[in-house]
Amino acid sequence: MALLDVKGLTKYFGGLRAVHDLSFQVHEGEILGLIGPNGAGKTTAFNLIAGFIRPTGGKVLLEGEDLVGMKPYAVTRRGIARTFQIVKPFKKLPVLENVVLAAFLRSPSRAEAESEARKVLETMGLGQKLSAAASDLTLSEQKRLEIARALATRPRLLLLDEPMSGLNPTEIDQATRLVIDICQQGITVIWVEHVLKAIMNASHRVVVISQGQKIADSSPQQVVNNPEVIAAYLGKRSSEDAVR
Amino acid sequence: MKHLPILALILLFAAVPWIFPSPFFLHLMIMVLMWTVLGAAWNILGGFAGQVSFGHATFLGAGAYTTMILYLKLGIAPWFGIIAGGAVAALIALPIGFICFRLRGPYFALSTLAVAEIVRLVALNWESLTAGPVGLLITTLPQVSLLGSPINWESKTPFYYIAVVIALAAVLATAVMSRTRMGAYLLAIREDIDSAEAIGINTVQVRVAALSLSAFLAGVAGGFYAMYLRYIDPDAVFAISLSVEMVFIAVVGGLTTVFGPLIGAIFLVTLGETFRERFLVGHLIFYGAFMMIAIRFMPEGIWGKLRLLLSTRR
Repeated sequence: MALLDVKGLTKYFGGLRAVHDLSFQVHEGEILGLIGPNGAGKTTAFNLIAGFIRPTGGKVLLEGEDLVGMKPYAVTRRGIARTFQIVKPFKKLPVLENVVLAAFLRSPSRAEAESEARKVLETMGLGQKLSAAASDLTLSEQKRLEIARALATRPRLLLLDEPMSGLNPTEIDQATRLVIDICQQGITVIWVEHVLKAIMNASHRVVVISQGQKIADSSPQQVVNNPEVIAAYLGKRSSEDAVR
Repeated sequence: MKHLPILALILLFAAVPWIFPSPFFLHLMIMVLMWTVLGAAWNILGGFAGQVSFGHATFLGAGAYTTMILYLKLGIAPWFGIIAGGAVAALIALPIGFICFRLRGPYFALSTLAVAEIVRLVALNWESLTAGPVGLLITTLPQVSLLGSPINWESKTPFYYIAVVIALAAVLATAVMSRTRMGAYLLAIREDIDSAEAIGINTVQVRVAALSLSAFLAGVAGGFYAMYLRYIDPDAVFAISLSVEMVFIAVVGGLTTVFGPLIGAIFLVTLGETFRERFLVGHLIFYGAFMMIAIRFMPEGIWGKLRLLLSTRR
């Protein structure tokens, strides 16, 4: 059975069809890339899965349990953690406390939560910044803090919403390695990204959505050569050129 | 050793009636302590959890009326009545919280204002219970003996000591709460509700719990207020100006600090009284000017500023 089974997920914002009849599966231990042009509905899909928005229709099954209608905190407690595209750290709190708060979910005592948080921050390369205020970190560090906080809830499935946006090429390489490391720890990853190079290198499988609908679901190599995907990204004309 | 200054402070408060026996001064101190409790109550929700309420008079009034009605109609002694007042306020906070916390930021603040007005109007019109605009009056308080001699309720001293105990409890409650997981969760909610939800915090439940604790303290203060004044009416305990005063005390004293409300109450209550005495007309202008200066130059509050200065000195 798939870890996460998204079935016919649909969301209308008034007359706007943000996500339409979206279905895909995620298997345990996988890195699934979720890509698509601007406004394709990627972030909306995340918000629907994580409980931040209630879908108009469809199901989100985590090992058979339907998550639709659950509040975000309940989804997190069931083992799905997310990051935000525009980072949302607890700005005035120290880096360590940011992650301790997340670690409280699985370790109610402060001592335990703190040692857990230190461990996670160390692996994210933030071990030297524990007492800095979150707002004093660089964007790259804040992105890693965001991931550290998500990991501290000990998820089985991690939803990364554009962890690479705004990073320079060196930082992108670093971050790509981090994602692969996370997956090797046994955490399944769904990863929304604009930086295609990174996602093509790291993902096991890629789902492409355009205008709220799935247009491709295959290996990274097959996706880049898919005429429909090229059309969605570059327009009809160039896809015909590409096919030629 | 760390607790020595606090112990000294408690001793100082205990000695006040001997040092300054004047009834006016004691009355001032009683008001300072009562407003400390109200400021502390507001601070838990508005400071720690960052949820600004403009309707906390609801809980003050609920406590005041509960204590009064229990004493007048059922003969329940104020000792228990004051606690019951807090409990009723905390209970009322539950539905208010579950409804209003669906809203965020300014919308939440406005909804608390609306709820407070509704509650005030109910108190004004539910005459069989509250006697409406006529108000409730008690003439005598129950006979209580302490160490063999009866307590003289005509003197301000016993009220002063009761106020000290309640204020101490409120400050202690804040200190303890700020060290628990719930206190940490409140700060997370203050910083970012979406992120708090994303790391598994049931933010509605935690905010309702904070509101309830806050309401309990305000209710206890209300019960005390009713017994001290011996007369209440809806405009005396449900007025919006009371809600606003709580905001001022918490903000001027220092949000999210344990001692901020005490400092805020000392400054604002004494200044308010002094201005009222000096300038019969327009005393609020001076009060307002002080508020502006305080907020302009000490946005972190008087106690917050002092703490900052002390920590940089070290």
